[in-house]
Amino acid sequence: MDAVSQPELERIERAGGADLVVGILDPEPDDQAGATIPMVRAALAELSVELNRTARVVVLCNNGTHGPAAPAPDADRLQPAAPDGDGQSLTVFSYSLPAPGPAETPQPKVSHAYRSVLAVGRKLGVRACGVIASQRRAVTPQWIYRLVQPALELGFDLVAPRYTRHKLEGLLNKSVLSPLHRALYGEQLQNPMGPDFGLSGKLLQRAMGQDSGPSRGAENDPVASLAPMAVCGGLRVCESHLGVRTQPPTDWMNLSSLLAAVLGPVFLEMERQAACWQGIRGSNPVPGFGSPEIAPEDTGTMDVHRMVESFQLGDQNLQDVWGLILPPTTLLELRKLSRLPLDQFRMPDDLWARIVYDFALGHRLRTISRDHLLRSITPLYLGWIASYALEVETAGPAEIEARIERLSRAYEDGKRYLVSRWRWPDRFNP
Amino acid sequence: MWDQVGQALNQSMNRMLSQMASLLPGVVALIAALLVSTLVAWVLAAILRRSLTSIDFDRRVAQWGFSALAEWSPSKSPTRLVTRAVAWTAMLIGFLIGISAFDVALTSQFVIRLFAYLPNVLAAVVVLAAGSIVAGFLARSVLIGAVNMNLQYARLLSAGVKWLVTVLAVAMALEHLSIGGGIIRLAFGILFGGIVLALALAVGLGSKELVSRSLDREASKTSSQNMQEPVGHL
Repeated sequence: MDAVSQPELERIERAGGADLVVGILDPEPDDQAGATIPMVRAALAELSVELNRTARVVVLCNNGTHGPAAPAPDADRLQPAAPDGDGQSLTVFSYSLPAPGPAETPQPKVSHAYRSVLAVGRKLGVRACGVIASQRRAVTPQWIYRLVQPALELGFDLVAPRYTRHKLEGLLNKSVLSPLHRALYGEQLQNPMGPDFGLSGKLLQRAMGQDSGPSRGAENDPVASLAPMAVCGGLRVCESHLGVRTQPPTDWMNLSSLLAAVLGPVFLEMERQAACWQGIRGSNPVPGFGSPEIAPEDTGTMDVHRMVESFQLGDQNLQDVWGLILPPTTLLELRKLSRLPLDQFRMPDDLWARIVYDFALGHRLRTISRDHLLRSITPLYLGWIASYALEVETAGPAEIEARIERLSRAYEDGKRYLVSRWRWPDRFNP
Repeated sequence: MWDQVGQALNQSMNRMLSQMASLLPGVVALIAALLVSTLVAWVLAAILRRSLTSIDFDRRVAQWGFSALAEWSPSKSPTRLVTRAVAWTAMLIGFLIGISAFDVALTSQFVIRLFAYLPNVLAAVVVLAAGSIVAGFLARSVLIGAVNMNLQYARLLSAGVKWLVTVLAVAMALEHLSIGGGIIRLAFGILFGGIVLALALAVGLGSKELVSRSLDREASKTSSQNMQEPVGHL
């Protein structure tokens, strides 16, 4: 990926190179975007003091406010602005990322922007890289500092985020991404898919080296591949408490598209790293930095009844599709579950873990079209959300933590099932 | 007079017997060809069945996206379908060889016509197979999409799409086989047009209020959920 022109690279090199690349990939660029550079400067001022030397930073934003607008035929190029120095401590080169194509959906948009930022970091040979892909209004200078500092000064290769959340936020992370990552790769990360990350130069080089190498089929999604790559490459991983993260309201009509866009790259990464995760047993917590904030009070209620209805509708109509992916015992348990009254509706953790594993296996074996497979998990996911929401209705933070821990252990216990089916899909089918 | 009648009958009997005798080698050859072809078909079918079973052909066919093939197969087993098709083809070839023992000119004409028709048959089979695959894929897409949109009549929609595409494929296949000609075209036009018109009328007139109420309800559900539910997925 040729993201920075040669004259621009030479210009930065003449200025002494760059220590750090910071990408601000606001999913919804707004009028406040002009405040990005001051925020980055505020975050890095502290860092350059600790470094006790002059820091040179390249900032890449996707809001189009830095430098002239990108011309359409040359959309991959970053548009330069004049270096912005404040004397001896900090020099900032700011650029604007090209606008994404109108047809791009949110997840590929983030991946594309990620790749652009990592490519710039690789070309400049920076020591570290920080990427913020959360909504800009929730981000504070501390976020950038906490993501970059462990990579720059403490020798960590990947700094994953840890957010303060309501009990009904980050549900895909709680139900699939985090426990799956923990069971597969043995590291207890709250958000293995960020989207905000801090990376060392070493991990950055590896990520882009793999990306530019011979690919087998689909292109790597950096957001999904960074954490597994760090674990399987023997690199050091940690977490930083960032605070409260705001998200746009859930688009229920496009939930299946979201699931397909997120789970597809995760399952692909599972396939790529199969040799690595099959040998990993158990899990360990990773070092954490910063302190957790107290979550604001939960507001609003969830319409659990409608989710259970969606699950029951799926159970009535998708048996033929699920029958190609899930073993008969799982189908039987789902059938029993769909007949339970609302107050008793609980999806057992081991059942949910096996469902996710079977879908990952079906994705690998291409049992049916991958898009069909990923979209057909939606009613099951809604069933899990309904079950979880009913369980934690009156629960406090400690109980929720314990609930998620139980689910994660179910994933770990079910890993033997996954490994058996992964190795002998024809023979092992209970 | 009785002598003359007896003589005529004898002559007729002789002619019949001589004609039968002249046919006999051909019949024997036909029976022999059929017996040999049956034996060959049985051996071929047995070998094929064993090979396909060993590679778990039935499951692989479903994996490759040809699950509709199982529905059309005897006992829902594509292995049986393939083995039976091969066996019947072997027996048909044996029958044609046996027929050729009767009259060379007649057989060659028959075979020439058969081979001239073969491309049409192959094209029809390809159209049917492609139609079946497309119908299955679209039906599954519609089913999953409709279930995810919480539509109660998801299965009905899916079946409708499947039958529309299947009817289209069958009509095209019959066109290739030159069966029915204008009647098929006319029947297909009436059927397809009728279905589309019925759907348009149902949505446009008969179910106008129902559809608008349903859409309103869905929209209000979604917007109210967005406002009230503190739910996030990532």
